[in-house]
Amino acid sequence: MREPGPRARRFLPGDPRVEEPYRLTPQLALRVAILGFLALGVFAVLFLRLWALQVLSGDKYLEQANSNRVRTLPIDAPRGLILDRNGRALVRNTLGTSIELWPVDMPKNPSVRLRELRRLSTVTSVPVAELQRRIREFRRDPLTPIVIRRGIHEDQISYMEEHQLDFPGVQLATSYLRTYPHQSLAAHLLGYVGEITQAQLRAKRKQGYELGDVIGQAGVEATYDRYLRGRDGSAQLTVDARGRPTSAVEPKVTPRPGNTIRLTIDLRLQQAAERALRYGIQVAHVNGQWAADGGAIVALDPRDGSVLALASYPTYKPSIYVSRDPKKLAPLEDAAVAERENFPGLDRAIDVGYPPGSTWKPVTALAAMQEHLIGPYTSLLCSPTFTVNGQTFDNWDPSTYQWIDLPTAIAESCDTYFYQVGYDFYGLPPSRGHALQLWASRFGFGAKTGIDVGPEATGLVPTPEWRCVHYGGPPCSGYIDRIWKPGYSVQMAIGQGDLTVTPLQMARFYAMIANGGQLVTPHVVADVEQPTNDPRTPTILQRFAAQPPAPSGVDAAALQVVRQGLFEATHSTFGTSSGVFGAFPVPIAGKTGTAEKLVTRPGYPNPLELNQSWWCGYGPTDTPTIVVCAVIENGGHGGTAAAPAALKVFEAYFHKHGQTTSHISD
Amino acid sequence: MTELVHVEAVDGRARGLRGGRAGDRAGPLELVRRVDLLLLGAVLGAVAYGLYAIDGITKLDPGGSALGRQALYAAVGLVLMAAAVFVDPRLYRRFAGVIYVGLLAGMGLVLATGAVTRGSRRWIDVGFFRFQPSEFGKLLIALFLAAFLADRAKRVHELRVAIQAILLAAGPVLLVFVQPDIGTALVYGAVLAAALFVAGVRWAHLAAIGAVALLATLAVLWWLPASGVNVLKPYQAQRLTGVFHPSADPQGATYNVNQSITTVGAGGFRGRGIQGATQTRLDYIPEHGTDFAFASLAEQRGFVGASLLLLLYLLVVWRGLRAVTGAGDLFGAIVAGGISFAFLFQVYVNVGMTIGIAPITGIPLPFVSVGGSSMIANLAAMGILQAVHVRGRRRR
Repeated sequence: MREPGPRARRFLPGDPRVEEPYRLTPQLALRVAILGFLALGVFAVLFLRLWALQVLSGDKYLEQANSNRVRTLPIDAPRGLILDRNGRALVRNTLGTSIELWPVDMPKNPSVRLRELRRLSTVTSVPVAELQRRIREFRRDPLTPIVIRRGIHEDQISYMEEHQLDFPGVQLATSYLRTYPHQSLAAHLLGYVGEITQAQLRAKRKQGYELGDVIGQAGVEATYDRYLRGRDGSAQLTVDARGRPTSAVEPKVTPRPGNTIRLTIDLRLQQAAERALRYGIQVAHVNGQWAADGGAIVALDPRDGSVLALASYPTYKPSIYVSRDPKKLAPLEDAAVAERENFPGLDRAIDVGYPPGSTWKPVTALAAMQEHLIGPYTSLLCSPTFTVNGQTFDNWDPSTYQWIDLPTAIAESCDTYFYQVGYDFYGLPPSRGHALQLWASRFGFGAKTGIDVGPEATGLVPTPEWRCVHYGGPPCSGYIDRIWKPGYSVQMAIGQGDLTVTPLQMARFYAMIANGGQLVTPHVVADVEQPTNDPRTPTILQRFAAQPPAPSGVDAAALQVVRQGLFEATHSTFGTSSGVFGAFPVPIAGKTGTAEKLVTRPGYPNPLELNQSWWCGYGPTDTPTIVVCAVIENGGHGGTAAAPAALKVFEAYFHKHGQTTSHISD
Repeated sequence: MTELVHVEAVDGRARGLRGGRAGDRAGPLELVRRVDLLLLGAVLGAVAYGLYAIDGITKLDPGGSALGRQALYAAVGLVLMAAAVFVDPRLYRRFAGVIYVGLLAGMGLVLATGAVTRGSRRWIDVGFFRFQPSEFGKLLIALFLAAFLADRAKRVHELRVAIQAILLAAGPVLLVFVQPDIGTALVYGAVLAAALFVAGVRWAHLAAIGAVALLATLAVLWWLPASGVNVLKPYQAQRLTGVFHPSADPQGATYNVNQSITTVGAGGFRGRGIQGATQTRLDYIPEHGTDFAFASLAEQRGFVGASLLLLLYLLVVWRGLRAVTGAGDLFGAIVAGGISFAFLFQVYVNVGMTIGIAPITGIPLPFVSVGGSSMIANLAAMGILQAVHVRGRRRR
């Protein structure tokens, strides 16, 4: 206070009416000083915070700001092609438009967002719940676009383009789609692609798979995914706060296309096999087998196990998985609809076990000879019935009554001959084990063949142990169901009872007969290739050499007997399919089968006993190059449905035509 | 109020013949001579720098640069500031009642006829200009409270006076609050606090008032919502409390804060320039012309540029507090205190909000944010600070 207060020099007391003059009191000075320090404190805090943000952590925030605006877009790598053995494309790529969702750019307000999702659902026919599930799935990865529908239709594209502003966060993008020039051809074998599932992601994250990846879900697409998929590239794009692009797309990593897979499948033969399958069913219908509605055909090269054709009916178009139209997908993904449509997604050639019927008789014959139960020319009586322990088993042909040897028994498919052999197996001492089952498993039955596409069924070769466990044991004794009775061995000898085999297993067994006792591993892929400018000389990256055939341990002489029987079956007057193959210019040997199976049919309260029509064989007889195995479900006798179907395959393979005479038999 | 009697006239010091009321009979030239050049320089510097900053911030916006508009407002404001120097503040004191009624009327008019923008009613559309009475209200409430408290200078130590002042201030505060404009309501509260503080309300009373205010805040933000009574809309409460948990919901309630911090931080020491400031250019920082102008300034001009503005503000606040100490009467002191503290408060809340140390409220940044009412009202307030200063006790 530089000015002395006036009061000090005053002579008179102040007049109370007179306001005291204003002066800066110490109190006010203190308070202003406090305000001053407060102001200093405030600015100090602001400066320090600013320093901390801009100078100390500036780089971190700069990075954040950059990642804010820079979006990394995946660029799809085109998937590799799938070719047949002659280089004809079975699966190609096409460019399609897909609808993508960018959750960060969607409205933040939940009700506005829901409204947008509802509209999107109407356009794409993807349910709102599904959209929300997908968004939740990607919540930790908000900058990866979610593809909600691939391969959308022309009108959907134009609608979305016109209403772009109504759909913030929704974009149209171009992506590669699988296309199938031959529609449903080899559908089960080729498989299909789809977006990676949560479970697959957990299992495969280490192999570089990421959320949103498209991967093979079945067949060759799944097994050989790592060759087919290629490597996605990426591009960068600057966007503003509303997700609108503010720069051109700038490629960063060039995508690397997937490699080509060449199959062992022959397109023409595959087409023929699928036609033959439908033809077999048609023939069955003509012959009064009204319930015939499915089947499978396998064609193998017996020398190395390469699969030439693998057909299953009913089938589907893999393109359904591209468009993902829920109505068309239902038979493949909804169990109830699938049953109504007779399981079009099921690969009957490798994933279904059927009772093999008489096509099994060569197994029994070989095992019996190996175990010295019979010799090649042991004569047994082929009678109309065979009775054991009071149980009577019928021969399919009730009029026969003669002593025959093994080749003849195979040729005319005498059941009673094999019943006796089966009973002999039953009579073997326990020290010899279950000899028939043992040989069956040496021939590859009851286990997967190891084909490179899946899923594959194992089939079932029943043993006394299996029976006991299957019916609730152990203990095994004292329960009538759990005991292996002689009748089971008798039935098994002709391929009936609980025995089931897949068409592929059976084809492999006939390949073993054809190639002199080697058990081949069936496979459908020949090699992995990188396309070059000249399609005739691709760079082969990896050849999948056929796995060396494993010797089954079967005696060459025994095989020769069976081969003779199979040749007679297609050529002698009493052969069961000589009416079909007898006149074919290339010598074919093979066996019919008529397997009884209890089948539940819609509209029938009780299961019906329907015949599964089989034919398996090979040609040319001396140096076989192809094995064909055909099954027509509920198709009746082997000679009436499966054999004519198999003939069609041989015709296509040998480019020759045969003549079918009407000779209806087992 | 009776005419003042100047007892200090008996003061023997020759220079003090006119005493503390030296400005009373000073002519216009004398007044101009006494203008606080530091304050004037700081204000002119802040306005010029603000125009430069806002030009950069809004240059790439769809509407184009706001420089022209802002310069016009600044010109109007500067004229008003100059004019205010020549008006004796005691005039405002005399018409304090009119000011108060006018303030309430203005607020009422806004509520009755104002234009609704983004859910709140703050402006009166007068054709070429959107007039925002609450901005001028900051100044008016400072003048009115100063007059009320200066008139009761002798009884200011009574709690009654303080409570009366609070109740009177509550009127405009509530009217702003229901617009709703919580930020401005808080500024009014700051003016009230400063006025009570400078007027000399006793420490104990100040402490009690502060405690009640704190309890009320806690109640409104936490306790009442917990028991189901929402005074504020949930989004408002979230924005106010978001400063305590910034990473709670990065895409939702605290989106703005996080983007703002990123924006400021990305500016670094030297700034990213106008083209390089992607957060501003690509609209990641919302309202970058108005509420979040500081963040954009910090991004474009860096620590250097942001500090320059803060230093100018600090200068203004310092000179404002000098005007308090140098005021010729208590009224002038309280007016200067209210204006200075309100200014400090606005700077802190606005800047603090953009760097995550203050709640998010829509307060404009003085001299920078786009908006005529704010620019003009702030410059007028600076003029009144000068008016108090030039009529203050002379020192030298």
